[in-house]
Amino acid sequence: MIVRGRRFKGGYRFKHFEGEPKDTLVEAGVPEEVVIPLKQGFGYEVPSVVKKGDTVKAGQIIGIDENSVSTPVQATINGTVKELKKIKYIDGTTNSVVIKSDGTTDWQTVDHEGEWSRLSEEALERRLYMSGVTSLGRSGIPTRYRSSVIGPGEVEHIVVQGLSTDVHNTSFSVLLDGEGVDRFLEGLKILKRVMPKAAVHVTFDKSRMSLVKLINEKLTGQDGINIYPLELKYPQELDEVIVPTILNARYPYGYLPAHMGVIVLNVQAVLRVYDAVAGNKPMIERVIALRGPGFTENQYATVRVGSPLQSMKGWIKDERSLRFVVDNLLTGFSCTDSSLPIGRSFNSIIAIPEQVSGGFLSFAAPGFTKDSYSRTFVSSFVGFKKKVNTNIHGEERPCIFCGYCEDVCPVGITPHLIYHNVERNKIEEKLAIYRIFNCIDCNLCTYVCPSKIQIASYIKEGKKKLRDSGLDESTVIFPNFHLKGIQKSIDTDKGTAK
Amino acid sequence: MKNLDLKGSYEKLLKLRAMKNFQAITHTLGGILFGSSKVTPGAPHILDFLEIKRFMSAAVIALVPSTAAAIYFFGLQAVSIIVVSYVAGGIVEVLFALSRKKEIEEGFLVTGLIFALTLPPSTPLWVVAIGVIFGTIFGKELFGGTGRNIFNPALVGRLFITISFPQIMTMSWSVPFADAVTSATPLVVYKSSQAMPQVLDSLLGLTAGSMGETFRIGIILGGLFLIFSRITNWRIPIIYLATVAAFSWVGNIFVPAKIAPPVFQLLSGGLLFGAMFMATDPVTSPYTKGGKVAFGILTGAFTVLIRAFSGFTEGVMFSIVLMNGFTPLIDHIAISSKYKTGKR
Repeated sequence: MIVRGRRFKGGYRFKHFEGEPKDTLVEAGVPEEVVIPLKQGFGYEVPSVVKKGDTVKAGQIIGIDENSVSTPVQATINGTVKELKKIKYIDGTTNSVVIKSDGTTDWQTVDHEGEWSRLSEEALERRLYMSGVTSLGRSGIPTRYRSSVIGPGEVEHIVVQGLSTDVHNTSFSVLLDGEGVDRFLEGLKILKRVMPKAAVHVTFDKSRMSLVKLINEKLTGQDGINIYPLELKYPQELDEVIVPTILNARYPYGYLPAHMGVIVLNVQAVLRVYDAVAGNKPMIERVIALRGPGFTENQYATVRVGSPLQSMKGWIKDERSLRFVVDNLLTGFSCTDSSLPIGRSFNSIIAIPEQVSGGFLSFAAPGFTKDSYSRTFVSSFVGFKKKVNTNIHGEERPCIFCGYCEDVCPVGITPHLIYHNVERNKIEEKLAIYRIFNCIDCNLCTYVCPSKIQIASYIKEGKKKLRDSGLDESTVIFPNFHLKGIQKSIDTDKGTAK
Repeated sequence: MKNLDLKGSYEKLLKLRAMKNFQAITHTLGGILFGSSKVTPGAPHILDFLEIKRFMSAAVIALVPSTAAAIYFFGLQAVSIIVVSYVAGGIVEVLFALSRKKEIEEGFLVTGLIFALTLPPSTPLWVVAIGVIFGTIFGKELFGGTGRNIFNPALVGRLFITISFPQIMTMSWSVPFADAVTSATPLVVYKSSQAMPQVLDSLLGLTAGSMGETFRIGIILGGLFLIFSRITNWRIPIIYLATVAAFSWVGNIFVPAKIAPPVFQLLSGGLLFGAMFMATDPVTSPYTKGGKVAFGILTGAFTVLIRAFSGFTEGVMFSIVLMNGFTPLIDHIAISSKYKTGKR
């Protein structure tokens, strides 16, 4: 069934930028060496079960911990273990396994059993778990193997994100070409078998109605799957925004969607579910969108997980003057060196110019290619492709109460009000009343601020200081919800509901 | 490449020891000429291209029709009033920036021009200077500069000279293209005889009034530009004007001798200019949506009341300054009702 007209207040539509990937998919091939972090996607870091000098096959499990909330980690190429080392990754450090390739491209299957529709639930879940797929999504895919904070029986809704609302429109339609749609729908069926109580909600870009209609036709007769054509407004893709928009429910800010019985996955995750269960294929590769002007060609690439960024050198323009950002220009982390390994949950790598000089009289330029929330640039009226770079475009100035941050805030708080309090070091209960803990760190307030104030950083700082003083989500947000999987102790049986 | 060289030599100039004490000026100038050389420290990795310089420039652009009309109507006198306002106020800004060791704030670009445009065309230049200096110091700098002031600095200066030099400020009007220098403004005329000018004359600026407030078509265009470009929110100007219209329509039915009818109210005095350019100053008006509505209604009501029942005809100026004083209270009420304890 197609459900129309769902939307949220606030947000901002990024339109028409240079560096959007076109619908071609290329193979990056097997790199000489991969670095596989032992913490990827959702779950705790797992201990390695291989040692230096071991021979490994692509798909073989190299890290597993059945006692913690985690998902096993697989080798992604055939070769030998070169070393185990600690690396800086995302926002912390993690152990990793470095594998040197032997040049072959084959891989081993997840297990030996046959046709998926005849598999038991347990065998299904085992394939999902052992293939590495259960680490996808912000709270993982629940199985009886403790791959998420809740069990599969506790899941009431599965939300599938078929759109991206970041600066470059990244449709991932290459994934749904031809038989892709059928594999996607099969993937949904598998998820429904694992999580039988769950209703499925799929979101797509409103402007791609042909795809929406195609899927809707194919769904005829199947209950419990709704399709939502939505406007591409940032930060729609964040769990905290999409879940309340689709389900008409309040979101327990600061907690995972799984805590309210909701699992949020993207299209690629559903396809990986299909590959793992129906194709018996471990999660050794990933389709990554190469976005932004730093790439010679903006397209999609199939990459082995753990490939360092530098293995894509042929596609990168001039590395020295670029900043690489993972997944999202407003919230993603950036990497300073090109040895960063592609994680199994990555969706895109964005390369944008690191722009140190501001440009002569830049504030007065007509701005054919400059993006702004205000309509003070020519770009608001003509259709030139807009360009982005890392310059802050101006000097920091005092807040003039223009109200832009409040207008775009997707959770309806007053960012500048919190900023003024934190800046004057007034860390009091009042901040909690101003709903500081509702902030979902989408960073849109900082983006639109004409005074170039790092509003979102101040809000983050305020939250941290409040937590230090003993006031946090558990006292402000938690009492208002019936959340799942929080007090559950580690010793409860795998996967069973409370 | 040419830009880079220019920038390089500018930076060399900054290194001279003699320039050390003037960093407030040199940094500001550098920012205007060459933009910022800073990059984002982390997420978000990109920022909006709008900066305060452009924000304020957009407000100045919205004032271009009024300014051009003032210069067309009153010639050299208008030009010299604007120049004196910018220079005298600019000196105060620079001195404060130097003593605070901070960059010069762009807000003065707007304040300096708005102040000049609210003056009668024959205001002596020394009065212009006194007004703008007083407004800048006591309306803004003493509160800590842009963003911290409570009252609109241009209005503080205007109010000060209105009260200090009533003879000069209320008697020396002139109608464009006529030699009668002592003609009273339509609002004063209405008080004594209930006579009203033609609507078309009011729109085109062929009535007596302050330099920038008479060419009303230009003001409307400028205001629409500000609203459309999102530099100001529509709430205050539209609700302010709507309240004046509604209130005077009712009032005119009951006390026609005192309260003028709506069309005349809207097209006389500084109402349009004040509603579009002064009541909308984001710093001195409420930032909450509900607060903006309340501000618009109350300012509108006070404007009609002051025009009708006080000795002054400057209802717009007084009511905006009065409501500037209430702004913190209005926002406080709006914020506490939005964020009630226990309500999520």
